[in-house]
Amino acid sequence: MNDAVNDVTQDRKPKDAAGIPEEPHRRHIGEGGLNLKPSGRTPAPVSLEQRSGEKTVGQASVENAVFTCRDVNVFYGAKHALRNVSIDVGRRQVLAMIGPSGCGKSTFLRCLNRMNDTIPGARVTGSIHLDKTDIHDRQQDVVQLRARVGMVFQKPNPFPKSIYENVAYGPRIHGMTRSRADLDEIVCTSLQRAGLWDEVKDRLKRPGTGLSGGQQQRLCIARAIAVQPEVILMDEPCSALDPVATARVEDLIEQLRASYAIVIVTHSMQQAARVSQRTAYFHMGSLIEVGETDKVFTNPRHRLTEDYITGRFG
Amino acid sequence: MDMLEGHISKAFDGALAGLHIRIVEMGGLVLEQVREAAQAYTEWRVDSAERVLQREMKVNAYDASLDEEQLTLLARRQPVAGDLRATIAMSKAVGELERAGDEAKKIARNVLAQGGRPGPATSRDVRHIGQLAVSLLRASLEAFDRLDTSLALEVITQDEDLDLEYKAGLRRLLTRAMEDPRHFDVTLEAAFVLKSLERVGDHARNLARQVCSMGGHSRPTDDLTATSRASRLT
Repeated sequence: MNDAVNDVTQDRKPKDAAGIPEEPHRRHIGEGGLNLKPSGRTPAPVSLEQRSGEKTVGQASVENAVFTCRDVNVFYGAKHALRNVSIDVGRRQVLAMIGPSGCGKSTFLRCLNRMNDTIPGARVTGSIHLDKTDIHDRQQDVVQLRARVGMVFQKPNPFPKSIYENVAYGPRIHGMTRSRADLDEIVCTSLQRAGLWDEVKDRLKRPGTGLSGGQQQRLCIARAIAVQPEVILMDEPCSALDPVATARVEDLIEQLRASYAIVIVTHSMQQAARVSQRTAYFHMGSLIEVGETDKVFTNPRHRLTEDYITGRFG
Repeated sequence: MDMLEGHISKAFDGALAGLHIRIVEMGGLVLEQVREAAQAYTEWRVDSAERVLQREMKVNAYDASLDEEQLTLLARRQPVAGDLRATIAMSKAVGELERAGDEAKKIARNVLAQGGRPGPATSRDVRHIGQLAVSLLRASLEAFDRLDTSLALEVITQDEDLDLEYKAGLRRLLTRAMEDPRHFDVTLEAAFVLKSLERVGDHARNLARQVCSMGGHSRPTDDLTATSRASRLT
């Protein structure tokens, strides 16, 4: 890491009541014993230009980013799973993350809403800012963070409740509504935005688990957007779906892009090419290349990216 | 050849290499077509012209079957990045060869129509420009065969020489027509033949451009060809 980042880290040492700096090593905070950098106040994100030794090729930073990640490292015990990843996530655009299994793309995705907190022995260093707020700040409520950064998983996972309750759950626990009519409105809007309303409007009381795989996944998307997130993370959202359901979800992603930033991990390069505006290629824990999707799939700049997307290794 | 190989799927390697080889085969056929058509005109040989027309069907068959193979490759493999550029470039290369073959056909038809045998001076011009066109097409095919971008850039530059020779040949032709306007129809046909040969040179140049795009160059711009021209001059 370079000096600029170290300087910032120095500034961030919290002090105890006597004004003595706390031990600058990692501390256990949050769920699952996640070790994090000390964090007293929220420093400004470090711009890419301030950094040196950047290995990633392409355009990692964007203007007016929703997420600004700098030098993110993740360790699972002794395993160094993610190395110095620096990337921005732009507003109202889809960022696709591709790479062979074990390359760190899902690990990075899980950093963005602190899902790695739940993994014992996981340690995250570096800085991740959501709208200039350090998501690892001690003041940061993880539940609130996950409302702002929703997630959709590989396998549709509706709650074993009614379709209505699946969508209403989030707004209710976050106290977003004052009346039943408000809640009805949110459920209806969310299902409409997820493109599911017409298919389920007559059976809102039926269990969500009774829907088809594709419908369940769209229900999960409706559940994620019901709490009005800023970012939606998707971890291989179509890998368990047939081509028709996949096309529906991809179409939905395109529509949702107008309102949210979306980060999608996918093993289908065709899907990444179809749905995203920017693509990031990960390899063995490093971010190798990031750039406009059109460029990455027609004229990648890094040999590793070219070899991966053309099926020369994987 | 690296750029067409090394896939995890050996069948994909095979499909790309197979396509490449078949295009080189088609190129060899077109080269023979142009050579024989120019010879048929300068030596005024009907049997040669007939052979050219018969072989033209083979060229068209190559064109049709290569189209089919390329569609299958796109549908089955959905190539991206370098593979996509190579597939599109190969598709365009087939188009260039097919059109070069068409020019040979036009020359052969001219002989078969027996409109009027060109005089010795015109024959000499056609032979000269024909040789230039054939050597340019041969060089572009070699560049395509070996995927040799520097040779391809040479071809692009040399096509300008052919264009100059064509203009000079056309001026000589018109001068002769003005001196003796009785055979104006023969002159006109000869001008079409010269134009066809000049077009063969253009197709060779376009084929060379495709080689450059397969080699990772974006379309060779004037800058690139200017550099190549400068290095040739020095």
